[in-house]
Amino acid sequence: MEHEISKVGRFTVIALKGEVDMRHSPQARKVILANLEKALPVMVELSGVSYIDSSGVASLVEGLQLAKNRKIEFALAGISTPVMNVLKLARLDRVFTIHPTPESTLA
Amino acid sequence: MPNPALPPLDDAHMVSEVALLAKIGWDFAAESADLDETLRHAIQRILDYLDAEAGSIFLLDEETRELSCRACAGPLDITGLKLEVDHGIVGRTITSNCLQMVRDVAKDQSFTGFVDAQTGFTTRSILCAPLLIRGKALGAIEVINKKSADGLFSPADSQLLVALSALAALAIHNARMAAALVEQERMKKELELAGEIQRSLLPRPRSDDFPIHGLNVPALEVSGDFYHFFELPDGRLSFCLGDVSGKGMNASLLMAKTISLFHCLAKTQHEPGVLLAAINDEVAETATRGMFVTLVAGIYDPQTQQVIFANGGHQPPLFRDARGGFQEFAAEGPPIGIFAGVDYLEQSLALAGGSLYLFTDGLTEGKPKNGVPLGDTGVRSLIEKLRALPAPRRLQQMAAHLQFPGAVLHDDLTIMVIDSVLAPLPMESTDLPACPDCLPQAREVARTAGRKAGFDDETVENLALAVNEAVMNVIQHGYHFASGQTVRLEISLDDAALAFDLLDHAPPVRPEAVQSRPLDEIRPGGLGVHFIRSIMDEMTFIAPPPGFGNCLHMVKYRKKEGSEHGT
Repeated sequence: MEHEISKVGRFTVIALKGEVDMRHSPQARKVILANLEKALPVMVELSGVSYIDSSGVASLVEGLQLAKNRKIEFALAGISTPVMNVLKLARLDRVFTIHPTPESTLA
Repeated sequence: MPNPALPPLDDAHMVSEVALLAKIGWDFAAESADLDETLRHAIQRILDYLDAEAGSIFLLDEETRELSCRACAGPLDITGLKLEVDHGIVGRTITSNCLQMVRDVAKDQSFTGFVDAQTGFTTRSILCAPLLIRGKALGAIEVINKKSADGLFSPADSQLLVALSALAALAIHNARMAAALVEQERMKKELELAGEIQRSLLPRPRSDDFPIHGLNVPALEVSGDFYHFFELPDGRLSFCLGDVSGKGMNASLLMAKTISLFHCLAKTQHEPGVLLAAINDEVAETATRGMFVTLVAGIYDPQTQQVIFANGGHQPPLFRDARGGFQEFAAEGPPIGIFAGVDYLEQSLALAGGSLYLFTDGLTEGKPKNGVPLGDTGVRSLIEKLRALPAPRRLQQMAAHLQFPGAVLHDDLTIMVIDSVLAPLPMESTDLPACPDCLPQAREVARTAGRKAGFDDETVENLALAVNEAVMNVIQHGYHFASGQTVRLEISLDDAALAFDLLDHAPPVRPEAVQSRPLDEIRPGGLGVHFIRSIMDEMTFIAPPPGFGNCLHMVKYRKKEGSEHGT
């Protein structure tokens, strides 16, 4: 898994790429939580994610919980069909704020 | 200061009595192999102490009601001498269960003078105490002719003899119990040997793809149930399954006879009805005590998938067709061994992708964990639940359903299955190192199996996720991320379903501990089991094969029609 960090509007965008499974979810978790520590809005961009499992979903849930506690904006974007499928299985597709792309929040 | 509540201990007589009791008690306690030797010592010590001329110990034979002298002391050796139980003073002691003190035998009508007449000894006085265990006399101790003073036994002598007789009775009882234990042990060894020979009469296990498999679990060491099958030169298979009335050794001997008759006659007789009639005639000619055998025998042709069988009074064989329907075949003839000259009708059946189950009442009447006998319905749902497993594992799981830890098997349990498809083969068995890095491979194995089974892309991806989650659970909760561990993923496919068995070496899990969390509770973790349950049609822990700690059995049904399949 790779990740890239960029700034789009108010969001710090963390773009994850590759397979977010047990091998890489600790890394994803670390990056998400570290960026939330900066108290700025965070968006996780998942269009490059080909696979995600329950450990990857757990990293996203942890980010969501921390953001809620700190009253920071937290969103997902670029959800591919396989990722959406897993979020639906976990019934989390309505729990996250989901944008089509980071840029779609600029309008 | 002397304590007035206790009797005075300065009496030399009492001290030596206690010493004698202690000595004899010690002899009895130390006694091991030779009871007669110990009894001889005891009677000699008693004789010396009571200052009597002769003494003997008689034991009662419960069956013959005869008394025989096991030990004696004095001028004459009467060891081995036998008396009727109602004979003489010894006899009276035993029949009355009471101590007898005869001061002058001449004045006692019970005294027969039998021994005196044979030996020339002169008996004057007798003290005789019964050897009592729980109020029942095992025999008696007799002492004759007090030598000192007036030649009469005193009340103190009789009290002492009663005390000594209690010690002797205990020693004899113990020795008998020990002998009985040795005998029990010998019988147990013989039974084990018989059980071993009996197991050797059953056919050897075959590879998963063989069409017939059987399983026999005896309730006792030996079994009255049996099954057998073997290949005929033309490629067809001859098979039988039966149950001898009754249990234990006599049932197992009749089992041995019947299975041997089958093995011998079925080689040349390929018509099950005629075969059953021949076995019946042979057994009926020699069977005793109203024993009989219920027996199904038949022929299976793997080429045509045709089964022909005849049923002598046995439980109806149960057929599960390829679509999941069930059909029973009731017996057409009486049990084997009751009347000679009976005709047995043949029944025939085309398996056409289905499986034929034969079993004994140990299965239908067996009790699973809920304590309710399995019954016909239970057997059917068990077959339905386990159908995706290879036959040997399927039978093993059926038996495991009734043989959970702590279960008591009340009847022998025997099951046989004839599968018409060679299918439920492990299509693939993959060993993986149990670490996060193996997850992509586990997913790929699952995807390949899913595609082979014809599932659509989304379902294939879901299957990969379910297997991923299952392996992850083992790494995390089974092995706690310990390195050097492995898991095995076995995949089997048949007409109805794709099954994944994940085997690990972790300590057995409690299935109730493996639960998905409530989904309205938003928190990380605990999603894996929910994913597996949502994706798979079945998820259960089944008994793992030897060498493994757990086996997670996950099944996805193949739907022949509908949107999920091959769109």
